[in-house]
Amino acid sequence: MMTGKEYIESLRKYRPKIYFMGRRIESVADDPITAPHVNAAAMTYELAHDPRYEDVMTAVSHLTGERINRFNHIHQSTEDLVKKVRMIRVLGQKTGSCFQRCVGCDAMNAIYITSYNIDRKYGTEYHERVRQYIKYVQKNDLMPAGAMTDVKGDRSKRPSQQADKDLYVRIVEKREDGIVVRGAKAHITGAVNSHEIIVMPTRALEADDKDYAVSFAVPVDAEGVKMIFGRQTNDLRRLDGDMDCGNAKYATVGGEALVIFDDVFVPWERVFMCGEYDFAGELVEVFATFHRQNYGACKVGVADVLIGATANVAEMQGIARASHVVDKITEMIHLAETCWCCTLACSYEGFRTPSGAYMPNQLLANVTKLNITRFPYEWSRIAQDITGGIVITLPSEKDYRNPETRDLIEKYLKGVAETPTEQRMRMIRLVENLSIGAELPESMHGAGSPQAQKIMIARRSNLEMKKEMARIIAGIKEDEHFRKIRGVTEREFFSKLK
Amino acid sequence: MRIAVKYCGGCNPSYRREEIEEVLRKYFQVSYADSADLIVCISGCKKGCAAERARGEFLHFDEKIKEEEIVRKVKEKLLLK
Ligand SMILES: Cc1cc2nc3c(=O)[nH]c(=O)nc-3n(C[C@H](O)[C@H](O)[C@H](O)COP(=O)(O)OP(=O)(O)OC[C@H]3O[C@@H](n4cnc5c(N)ncnc54)[C@H](O)[C@@H]3O)c2cc1C
Repeated sequence: MMTGKEYIESLRKYRPKIYFMGRRIESVADDPITAPHVNAAAMTYELAHDPRYEDVMTAVSHLTGERINRFNHIHQSTEDLVKKVRMIRVLGQKTGSCFQRCVGCDAMNAIYITSYNIDRKYGTEYHERVRQYIKYVQKNDLMPAGAMTDVKGDRSKRPSQQADKDLYVRIVEKREDGIVVRGAKAHITGAVNSHEIIVMPTRALEADDKDYAVSFAVPVDAEGVKMIFGRQTNDLRRLDGDMDCGNAKYATVGGEALVIFDDVFVPWERVFMCGEYDFAGELVEVFATFHRQNYGACKVGVADVLIGATANVAEMQGIARASHVVDKITEMIHLAETCWCCTLACSYEGFRTPSGAYMPNQLLANVTKLNITRFPYEWSRIAQDITGGIVITLPSEKDYRNPETRDLIEKYLKGVAETPTEQRMRMIRLVENLSIGAELPESMHGAGSPQAQKIMIARRSNLEMKKEMARIIAGIKEDEHFRKIRGVTEREFFSKLK
Repeated sequence: MRIAVKYCGGCNPSYRREEIEEVLRKYFQVSYADSADLIVCISGCKKGCAAERARGEFLHFDEKIKEEEIVRKVKEKLLLK
């Protein structure tokens, strides 16, 4: 297993083509725009070596028997699913940000499960390729990004119906030694500082979409892979010192990129689905279940930091004992722990798939994520309420460092007498970072927009059974247990009262 | 051939579990006894609680499934015995 430092060093051996603000990023590990995201991912490596966290951070590979980083593990029990979310919450607390590595973990688990099912139906050999690939990732402790979301063009049309056929990643050529793919994946977390990219289709497909039913892995610097790093609110504050960002060390959200596959060659041993369109929907659902499970853990870990920041600000501003503040902070905790309950529940209710790997309960994983599209908005609203208008009007670090204005800021932005002004400013910036900006839309759309969860909840819950329960309680349908309890039917029992 | 049915607790089933038993009763002799020629575990979801305590040879259903499939699986299992 690599340490955090070794991971950062390992990135220097890759030469991915990354563009940002009209220039090439030459070293993702060193560029001030990407370095904080690299630090956040490095935490997933570093904590695996800390005896205080190794129980959640590591696992024993069922493929090699070796101890590995849990992010590269194929879950072998519901306990593994639970440990995954415990690990993710810890990492949210340690980085106050997105540490990016869960997407690749979910991608590996999803292709492991679905490739097994494809092989059972078609006699293909994808599952063995997936196992070999995962062994390679485990042995070298690599970080693969998980790339599912296509750019999608006209959302009302399927891939093969688009005016431009490249708006979903597709196979453009099949060769003796492999395939050539073209297209682009959007919003890919940690892609720029990963070693590998695992690609999966983004939606259920039909027969005409066969060429879009493709899953594969390539190194980030494979010929033809190009990445355009996305802008975030306040991203250039990274160039202005360490205060204005709020979380200068680990940034916010994952550092997402548009990943373009400009006729990229993939050798057969790295192809995990090739035309089996009838399994695209399953792969999407399995991946989405794993990924929606995570959100009740990472966002809760980050919420722990926000709750702490809000409570600190309240103390620094002399309102910590006000009853409405105590009540509001308790409400933040309640909301966060509710999400935690959801993620634990879907993990404990997980099950063994035919491949032997375990996955979370789909209904509950979707409920987890749907809550995450809502509750972070509420806990952020409370954080902004308690912090006050200063959360968006605080002067810059440069003005704080400027001898002409420093004393004025020291004097007029002081809260309670005991707290140094700089500490108050840092804490307010942290609240700003965590409650305004990229964090919230990530909660909304990461792992799928709310409607995607609603559809799954509708599909996976048993409405007919609930209707029948109501018919029984309302006295419309016979209640077999009431009959046993009273020895007569409901009609007979109640006729005596009439 | 005697079949014994074991249910999970039924807290949040994704389908009506009794449908499986109803099919079994059409074709086989069914009871809730502890021993039989075959134990059939019926879980309401993939968590599969009904099968958690099952020992030896048993068949497990954890989702809605066609009548002919149920019968085929049971016969297959009985033949193996
Ligand atoms: C911070 C962040 C990190 C992410 N990381 C990753 C990652 O690592 N890997 C990855 O694969 N993806 C990632 N995603 C992508 C994420 O899964 C998508 O954002 C999400 O699935 C929504 O897709 P979209 O952004 O294209 O929005 P759209 O699909 O355009 O959705 C916008 C709205 O349109 C609606 N809509 C879309 N299609 C239809 C339709 N056919 N009919 C009716 N309504 C429709 C949606 O419900 C939504 O309300 C990330 C996203 C974010 C924001």
